[in-house]
Amino acid sequence: MSLSAAARRLAGWSVVLRSSSRTLPPLSRECVQRRDITSSSVVQPLRSENKVTVNFINRDGEKITVKASPGESLLDVVVDQELDFDGFGACEGTLACSTCHVIFKEEVYKQLGPISDEEMDMLDLAYGLTDTSRLGCQICLTKSLDGVTVRLPEAVADIRQSDGSA
Amino acid sequence: MSLGRKMLQQVLRVSGRSAGPLLRGVDRWVDSLGSRQVEDSRVKTLKEMPGPSVLGFVWDLFAKRGLSRLHQLQLEGRKKYGSMWKASFGPILTVHVAEPELIEQVLRQEGQHPMRSDLSSWKDYRNFRGHGYGLLTAEGEEWQSVRSLLGKHMLRPKAVEAYDSTLNSVVTDLITKLGHRRQQHPDGVINDIAGEFYRFGLEGISSVLFESRIGCLDPIIPEETEQFIQSINTMFVMTLLTMAMPAWLHRLFPKPWQTFCQCWDYMFQFAKGHIDQRLKEEKEKLASGEEVQGRYLTYFLSRAGMPMKSVYSNVTELLLAGVDTISSTLSWSLYELSRHPEVQSSLRAEVLRVMGDRRVPTASDVASMPLMKAVVKEIHRLYPVIPGNARVITDRSIKVGGYLIPKNTLITLCHYATSRDPAQFSDPDSFVPQRWLNRDEGNHPYASVPFGVGKRSCIGRRIAELELYLALSRILIHFDVKPDPEGGVVNPMTRTLLVPEREINLQFIQR
Repeated sequence: MSLSAAARRLAGWSVVLRSSSRTLPPLSRECVQRRDITSSSVVQPLRSENKVTVNFINRDGEKITVKASPGESLLDVVVDQELDFDGFGACEGTLACSTCHVIFKEEVYKQLGPISDEEMDMLDLAYGLTDTSRLGCQICLTKSLDGVTVRLPEAVADIRQSDGSA
Repeated sequence: MSLGRKMLQQVLRVSGRSAGPLLRGVDRWVDSLGSRQVEDSRVKTLKEMPGPSVLGFVWDLFAKRGLSRLHQLQLEGRKKYGSMWKASFGPILTVHVAEPELIEQVLRQEGQHPMRSDLSSWKDYRNFRGHGYGLLTAEGEEWQSVRSLLGKHMLRPKAVEAYDSTLNSVVTDLITKLGHRRQQHPDGVINDIAGEFYRFGLEGISSVLFESRIGCLDPIIPEETEQFIQSINTMFVMTLLTMAMPAWLHRLFPKPWQTFCQCWDYMFQFAKGHIDQRLKEEKEKLASGEEVQGRYLTYFLSRAGMPMKSVYSNVTELLLAGVDTISSTLSWSLYELSRHPEVQSSLRAEVLRVMGDRRVPTASDVASMPLMKAVVKEIHRLYPVIPGNARVITDRSIKVGGYLIPKNTLITLCHYATSRDPAQFSDPDSFVPQRWLNRDEGNHPYASVPFGVGKRSCIGRRIAELELYLALSRILIHFDVKPDPEGGVVNPMTRTLLVPEREINLQFIQR
């Protein structure tokens, strides 16, 4: 990582620090009614005008555009739409890993609201951390996020393909 | 690397939490330069890895009290051999990994169904008796299905919050019990505080599992409770011993294995008794037309259509996992807070500030207590309940630290060594919770991972954290905690888990 990238990360983290220590979010910040993976067929499809558009940039830099419902988390979207992102969401949204790590554009990142201590601790362990990183399982879609672009870190979540020296 | 780090610190005058990631960024940057050199050189094999001779290690383990000093052996191993070494633990060859970067490398390659160890006396016992596996012993798809089910009810923040009133009622009984115990001593000293916290831990996890109370904190302690706790303790001692003993030694000395089995027998019987009792009550309620609204874990397990055999084994393992962990962490927390009265009063002030006029905290109260979280993190760093964890990668060989580790090799992750490493934490043997508030140490994020990382990490983590925060808040509201005037330094020892070497006695002064 270059020094300038490291410095940018520093700036980003201080933003995070301020927002989190002031608002001190309660332990629970979960999306409305996360659906069970096993019972997703039960949920009624919403009318398409209620949906929001999400653009994912996968690990190879390819763009994938999907429609999803407000209230769903980004992890829900990846699971429900069966997007093939290697290793994504290993712990099934239980805040026990950081494989659903996603990166936002700075202006979007600032709108996302406070980050809990639990998410922050997990993000620390993420591979390819940036100053606008969040965990996909903690980000709930809202109408205002319509058209959002979400990038996955370029490196794979695990390093089995590399020389093992990350 | 350290020169680069120091220079940057001076140039940028970094402070606050933000410094950690920055310095780690530099570390990774510098490391990646280093790794390019590694890439050029060839990958080394296990044969080239340093380590003690088989006889030497057996001598350390059995003759020099090595089993209870396993955490110390991590420090000695790293000093002697560097960040990776191999050693034969009884019949098992294991590779020790004692640098955070390398622990990260192993965990990132653990695959879809991470396995802790394929050889274990815990599994042997279950096969021997025909019991099912629980979350601690199951593997593959069987493990995944239970993990997914319980993870939803034990780890999701919203689900965890729902346990605060259940846990608070257990904490209320603990406070009463501590008040009663302190009155039995002229100076208000409670001897062997860990004993009280064992019972608290067992009552806490039982309340979450059964949504009913089992009386561990009553003035007269039920006999079966004491026997259950004793069985856990003895089982943990025997775990290491039976694993370190080669087969021929088992034939000569059958006693350890027999004792180990008796302990497990009792634990399974205890869990089964409580599960059957609870499900019977439920049935009777249903029969009489009452509405049943189960919110407890045994209910979720029994309704998921899994065989009763698996319900019994899962509940047994969850019960035992909630006892030593809570007890040791609470004991060490009060031990260190008693020796650092300034931290204790800051923490009490934080609790009182958040609570206002109230005296019973909720889950959302403790979310606003940064010093509380820092204290618990620091206790876990100094006294990680799991001093060494393990992984076995069964489907492929992996590269770690320039070595090729063949598949099915037992890899020991030396968490105690990394969390006490002066290169990661300044003054590593001292209790300094503030380091977690400032985050200006630039420690590697994998240097202290007390609950593990990833999908096989501790499933009780969030419930345990909540339980600790709720208990510590209330204890500090009600008592000033001081060292026993006649007590001294207490060191940790390994009993599979890291526990206090001898009794921790503390003076409780009613506030």
